[in-house]
Amino acid sequence: MKKILFILAICYSIIAVSQNKQVLYNWDVSPQSLLLNPGVVVDQKHHYGIPFLSGFHINGGTSGVTVFDIFSDDGRDINVKIAEALTNIDSNDFFTATQQLELINFGWRSKSDYYFSGGIYQEFDFISYLPKDFLDLAREGNRDYIGRAYNFDHISLRADLLTVYHFGFNKKITDKLTLGLRFKAYSSMISASSTGNTGTFTTTQSDGTPNIYEHTVEGVNVEVKTSGYTSLKDVDGSSQVVSDVLGRAFFGGNLGLGFDFGATYEINNQLSATASILDVGTIFHSSDTEIYKASGNYTLDGLEILFPTIENGEATFPYYSDLEDEIEREIPVDTLNNAYSQMRPAKINAGLHYDFGRSLGRNSGDCDCRNMGGKSQRVSQVGVQYYDVFRPKGIQAAGTVYYRRQIGNWLSTKATYTVDSYSPSNIGLGMALSIGTLNFHLAADNLLDLTNIAKANSLSLQFGFNIIVEEL
Amino acid sequence: MKYPQILLVVLLSSIVISCFQNTDFDQANDVVITPVVELDLIYFDIDASQFYDVGTDTPNLVVRDTTAIEFIEGNDIRDALVRADFLFKFSNTIPSNFSVNFDFLNTNNEVRYASFTQVNAGSSSLPVETIYIDNVENEEIENLTSSNKVVITVTIPSSSASLFGTLNLQSKATYYLEID
Repeated sequence: MKKILFILAICYSIIAVSQNKQVLYNWDVSPQSLLLNPGVVVDQKHHYGIPFLSGFHINGGTSGVTVFDIFSDDGRDINVKIAEALTNIDSNDFFTATQQLELINFGWRSKSDYYFSGGIYQEFDFISYLPKDFLDLAREGNRDYIGRAYNFDHISLRADLLTVYHFGFNKKITDKLTLGLRFKAYSSMISASSTGNTGTFTTTQSDGTPNIYEHTVEGVNVEVKTSGYTSLKDVDGSSQVVSDVLGRAFFGGNLGLGFDFGATYEINNQLSATASILDVGTIFHSSDTEIYKASGNYTLDGLEILFPTIENGEATFPYYSDLEDEIEREIPVDTLNNAYSQMRPAKINAGLHYDFGRSLGRNSGDCDCRNMGGKSQRVSQVGVQYYDVFRPKGIQAAGTVYYRRQIGNWLSTKATYTVDSYSPSNIGLGMALSIGTLNFHLAADNLLDLTNIAKANSLSLQFGFNIIVEEL
Repeated sequence: MKYPQILLVVLLSSIVISCFQNTDFDQANDVVITPVVELDLIYFDIDASQFYDVGTDTPNLVVRDTTAIEFIEGNDIRDALVRADFLFKFSNTIPSNFSVNFDFLNTNNEVRYASFTQVNAGSSSLPVETIYIDNVENEEIENLTSSNKVVITVTIPSSSASLFGTLNLQSKATYYLEID
């Protein structure tokens, strides 16, 4: 079991990262750019995603340690390599995994020149910080660490499987400013989290105590919240579990609301600034919830033996069961079915973009009536982008510089260089093909590690097929 | 349509196939963790008066008590436990030596593992410390981990009403675990 968990943890670290889509951000070749910034400049007349193929995203990462660090075939003992890896990580290192599958995506320009867009996508999002103290305790025990406080706040993880329904509008307000707003309804299929835990476990040795050591749990407050899990415990067979979970995808789960907001400001003919905030929202877990909560203080001294005078086969005191009762009384573990709400992990994107090179007029010399006074599209663009996501222990941020180039009418490419929590040298590449109205995009990052994925701290991959009908 | 599909297949397969170079995931079978855990065991204070029954005016040479220690019994601990060191630290202010037996019993009250030590005589002015360490390993682990209670028997060679002082015990166990 330990091995399975370990391998699972490592696998998560391979396939997964946070939700940074630096390659697709502000790249109008894909309707995905509207999901990353509802206020992006939209040129097209309408678009439809090919159902189930319009957008797929998978992203995984691990900070501090790579698969190669542990599993490299170098003849060294894996236990030594694990020990080395653990000395190099701290409790702010993490595994993340994100996956998104777009089911439906569509958009159209109204007569009043709003661009409306909507759709449905499914998302899995997982983050677990490395519980460094408890990994150490499990691996080495406490004998050589008398006096060390093991922190329960090292236990912090969150996993969500949900469906998102969204509808938004985008409008060029002035010659220079485009704004967009997107409303989201979340349907949580299954959710589990344990965050904000507190307390310590310490073994101490001092004079004047009843026994050699004192094992002290102090100020512990540990909580695991689940929704959509309890009802599955009684379900027979994995196929029934899958069908029950999928049944919640269509508003059958716990519901939530949120919004995205974004803007583009075209500073001059070549320079523009963009920003967006995504998933400002909350899911209200009201049904099928189960919360496990342990809190209290306790000091264990061992079993005190009292040697009572015993007459005629009387039993002595039940020291052991009394001790168990005492621990349960002092640190009760409660199972609650209360409703709770949970913020979605909000994300912020921002960018500064500079166009240069040959102009990409629809027909050279024609008036671009939708873009009077605005920035003109040119063959090349460079820029800087910022991204962050709010995670249980704070913000994870990334900075990107990029170069984008249009090749003919049919191919657009974008190369990115990103510095983030996972690595200081992440090179990403994207390509978007337009064949008539059919558009295909493919983007991946950490290309330097693609030849040996095991060495990568993070990877992400996005692709999709869409039909985009440009303005005539 | 075909061209992007081909590109997609090529990129995806390169990610899936060419990615794990010079790695050996079978090493997962070799993962073993070896924590060394120290935990308090039992403690007591026996007053000298417990070795003499003033009601009947007779010595009471043997004082005995039992406690369950269910955590040490079972297959999981048996598979993981490589060695256990018990450390018993006696502090004696009773001017008499003692013999102390620790008998580990199973559910049927059969002795599966036994440990024995002598405790040096103390004096009221100066507590005398006796430390006894018992290392349990190899086939004795099997016996220890089939026990679920321990009987502590404290025997004094002779006793009188004038005996004063306290026999104190503090103890801990060091568990050497190997989990694979």
